[in-house]
Amino acid sequence: MMKRRNFVKTVGLASVATPFMLKGMKFQTIGKELFSTPKSLEDRVLVLIRLNGGNDGLNTLIPLDQYDNLAIQRPNILIPENEVLSLTPTLGLHPAMTGMKSLFDTNKMGVVQNVGYPEQNRSHFRSMDIWTSGMMDQSVTTGWLGRTFDAQYPNYPDDYPNAQYPHPFAISMGYEVSATCQGLMANFSQALNNPFDTFALDPSSVTDDGTYYGSHMAFLANLINQSNSYGAAINDAADNGNTLSTLYDDTNPLAVQMRYIAQMISGGLETKVYILNIDGFDTHDSQVEQSDVTTGNHMLLLKRLSDAVTAFQDDLHLLGIEHRVAGMTFSEFGRQVASNASEGTDHGDAAPLFLFGTCLNTQVVGPNPQIDSVITDQAGVPMQIDFRDVYASLLRDWFGVDETSVQSLFEHQVTFYDLMNACNLVGVDELDAKKEIEVLLYPNPCVSGTTIRFQSENEYVRIEVFDLNGRSVLVPLDRQLNAQQHDVYFETKDLSAGQYVVKIRKESGSAQTVLYRLQ
Amino acid sequence: MIPDQTIEQTPVSYSLSPYTGSWTKAEAAHLLRRTLFGPTNQQILDTVSLGMNAAVSSLLTMPVTGQPLAYDPGETVAAFGSTWVNSLYPTGNTQPCESARLTSLAAWMIERVNKEQYSIAEKMCLFWQNHFAAEACLDSVANYNYVKLIYDHALGNFRDLVKQMTIDPCMLLFLNGATNNVFDPNENYAREFLELYSIGKGPQTGPGDYTNYTEDDVAAGAKIFTGWIPENLRSSAAAPVSTYNSILHDQTTKQLSYHFGNATIPNGGASEYSNYIDLVFQQDACATFICSKLYRYFVNYDLTTDVMTNVVADMAQTLITNNYDILPVMQQLLTSEHFYDISVRGAIIRGPIENVFGMFNATGSVPNFDLVTNYTIYLNMYYIMDAMGQSYLAPPSVGGWTAYYLAPSFSKLWVNSSLLKLRSDFASWQTVYGGFNINGNAFQIDALTYLDGLSLPADATTVIDDTADVFCPKGLSTIEKLTLKAILTNGLPDFEWTIQYNDYQSNPGDPTYSDPVRSRVELVLAKLFRMPQYQTI
Repeated sequence: MMKRRNFVKTVGLASVATPFMLKGMKFQTIGKELFSTPKSLEDRVLVLIRLNGGNDGLNTLIPLDQYDNLAIQRPNILIPENEVLSLTPTLGLHPAMTGMKSLFDTNKMGVVQNVGYPEQNRSHFRSMDIWTSGMMDQSVTTGWLGRTFDAQYPNYPDDYPNAQYPHPFAISMGYEVSATCQGLMANFSQALNNPFDTFALDPSSVTDDGTYYGSHMAFLANLINQSNSYGAAINDAADNGNTLSTLYDDTNPLAVQMRYIAQMISGGLETKVYILNIDGFDTHDSQVEQSDVTTGNHMLLLKRLSDAVTAFQDDLHLLGIEHRVAGMTFSEFGRQVASNASEGTDHGDAAPLFLFGTCLNTQVVGPNPQIDSVITDQAGVPMQIDFRDVYASLLRDWFGVDETSVQSLFEHQVTFYDLMNACNLVGVDELDAKKEIEVLLYPNPCVSGTTIRFQSENEYVRIEVFDLNGRSVLVPLDRQLNAQQHDVYFETKDLSAGQYVVKIRKESGSAQTVLYRLQ
Repeated sequence: MIPDQTIEQTPVSYSLSPYTGSWTKAEAAHLLRRTLFGPTNQQILDTVSLGMNAAVSSLLTMPVTGQPLAYDPGETVAAFGSTWVNSLYPTGNTQPCESARLTSLAAWMIERVNKEQYSIAEKMCLFWQNHFAAEACLDSVANYNYVKLIYDHALGNFRDLVKQMTIDPCMLLFLNGATNNVFDPNENYAREFLELYSIGKGPQTGPGDYTNYTEDDVAAGAKIFTGWIPENLRSSAAAPVSTYNSILHDQTTKQLSYHFGNATIPNGGASEYSNYIDLVFQQDACATFICSKLYRYFVNYDLTTDVMTNVVADMAQTLITNNYDILPVMQQLLTSEHFYDISVRGAIIRGPIENVFGMFNATGSVPNFDLVTNYTIYLNMYYIMDAMGQSYLAPPSVGGWTAYYLAPSFSKLWVNSSLLKLRSDFASWQTVYGGFNINGNAFQIDALTYLDGLSLPADATTVIDDTADVFCPKGLSTIEKLTLKAILTNGLPDFEWTIQYNDYQSNPGDPTYSDPVRSRVELVLAKLFRMPQYQTI
């Protein structure tokens, strides 16, 4: 039904056979990584992290060009300007997020700004329903991923697992299944607490007598059978898998769960989606400590998030599977622009979300929110990018679902953004194991022109400049080059002032870097 | 959710008129499973004898309940073994004392469920705990008062309960009423009051309009609720209390939306919140909202059009006629044709508390050691149920536990691969693997007490029949019963079990005879508690 390979370029074994060090890696994993069939979209994994409670975007990702008015609206909680970790001249992170700042600086983290939906509903429950279903229609009970799976794997759960699909399609870490994976008949995700501790339940032959009771019996009997099969597969993968990063903090529950995920992916589990959750973002009060606004409950949550994602990304890199995994955070809403007197914030509207991985197109999508010095009561950040379009774009970019099929999963007219297809264009998702290439851009910021320095093999190279909406604005180079260091100068005087992303794509390794064009 | 086409049987009746059908163990057990956490065989037999009306009247009473006791060395004010609920906090560091009280409170909550009497009390309390869903606040005396408020109103007047809850110190802390004042309104409580506690939120019909109220009503409500603050929390000088402070109150006239007839709420000082709640409760939607939640909790999750327009509408009418008193609604529901309809039997998957006390209570298993050991066992149960998804004093969010409201799965959310494994492990542990061991005191499911309470324990077939009746809403198949009986008799002819049982009876207190009997019953229960048929009520 859905074409899943339309972005895949077949890559010969030669391109993945470059020898490299894998210290301490288990033998099976090396075998799987280097000598299996060429990787494709089929191997890709999406990790979703739910920030439960409504994350305060304005204290997470701070629009520095709006700082003066933010100081008026949220004087008791705003992070001091000199403490903000700047990502660009006009945008910065909460000081607890040092890990994600370094991911940003190495092109492994990006943000989409002002994400929400029209006519924001400020109820946690309704809004979370909207975010998990990907639909505004109240009667819809399926999740956005559940519908995607339903379209691809008919007759779930009755016909699964089977020989072709022996592994769970999705895993919700913890004791709850995620509503994002709710399909028509069942939830596609397996709840998993610890991949090393899954074992046999007593099978049952009880059947559905057509009543509510009967539907529960059939549900339970099937759940037992599935849990046994999937549990064994998960256990095998965890046993075969590995984890190499030393950055995980055992006292950070999110980090522990992300380590399990790295372990399962590296052990060969073919699960496509993992969902994690952090509670506590409903910060009506004590969001910050009065004595030091850079500390407090929100700081602890953001630090957990940032530290866990950073350790996970490090692990994926060391395991050589970084190119297969992308991630996204989401939350049911942002919070109001003005803080309240309890050092907190109330339910608001739009907020930024984070993307992570090595295939990001653009690191900052969407302009900074505009904060006025005078605002109406209860004002939130207005929505500019519909979250459903973010989902749709990820399905297209990351899982290669064709646009028509993606459109059929949503009720609105989808607008696609280039979010995660940087690896699709020349098949660089196959090349992650290659050494990182060094790119130097000078001067940066620039005015009339700049030079990009890089090393190439005897190969085809394309350099392209994108604006923040992911639009290509310039192609300084697109041809065969010799193996040597190159300096390519290009003019920027026709570009308007602002931020751009310069990408180099080539067989021996792709890279991107941020370019600032001044007035 | 069940797709419509698979429901072949339509309910016999959507009527709330009195049920007049047969009154056997099946109906009696259905009534008790929905009103108690784990009825025993004897309670089911007694209910058959009592008849429906007398049984329901008896269940709809609230027995006097005790108070949590001081048991931990951290409690330095109340004497060991006495209650601390009227005690102040010590001067200086209050944390050890608070920890001692909070764990005592948690243990006592669980003890109440384990020692439940022939009353709907504990089921109602859990219903309201889910409805208001406040997390434990900083002061366990205030926590106790919150829990007690629920207990005292569990079958009482819904509007009064909401009013008192609005200015309860724990609630003021939980939803930021404590910092909601004229200078800086905090709308957290005002929103949840409308959305979750009183009238309920309908579909969004326009910007900021949720069918029953608007965003402007939320903002107006925040102003109306200003002025109330909790005081003396964790104080060594006075007990926690809520006070009204006119300086903090917004004295303007508040404008409500067309959903409330464009009514205005003038400054009413300390009774303004009450005036507002009275006005909100004039909307019949409040009755429909709470009755739909009662229906989901006591009958079935599926609020079909038929259920809403017949059953819930009639419940709501009864509630309005009785000025929002809950008891008449429950009386009507529990004696109605619809409640006993075969289509709703076994329609609810057990939550963790149902799951755990479906085992302990139905087998008459109650720890009977010293106070410290008993409370420690209850705390262990508390933590296990927390891991299973139900921390009694800390619902996961202000909406309560998802299994009580989240479509389409509802009570199916109580079980998934990891939770089912936890249940299975727990059942094995509490039957065949020895259970809790606290300070050398072992406590597990009491298989002998259970066995002795059955109709004819010496008869293997009756033991299994009774077991199916007690634990399984729709019984077990012949083959399943034979399987369980083979476990009971260890595959020997039935008369061998009879001999074994009679030997045990003739030699009271002699483990040579009691141990083999107990271990056979434990194996039967271990198997049963891991079967799908045990997992619903």
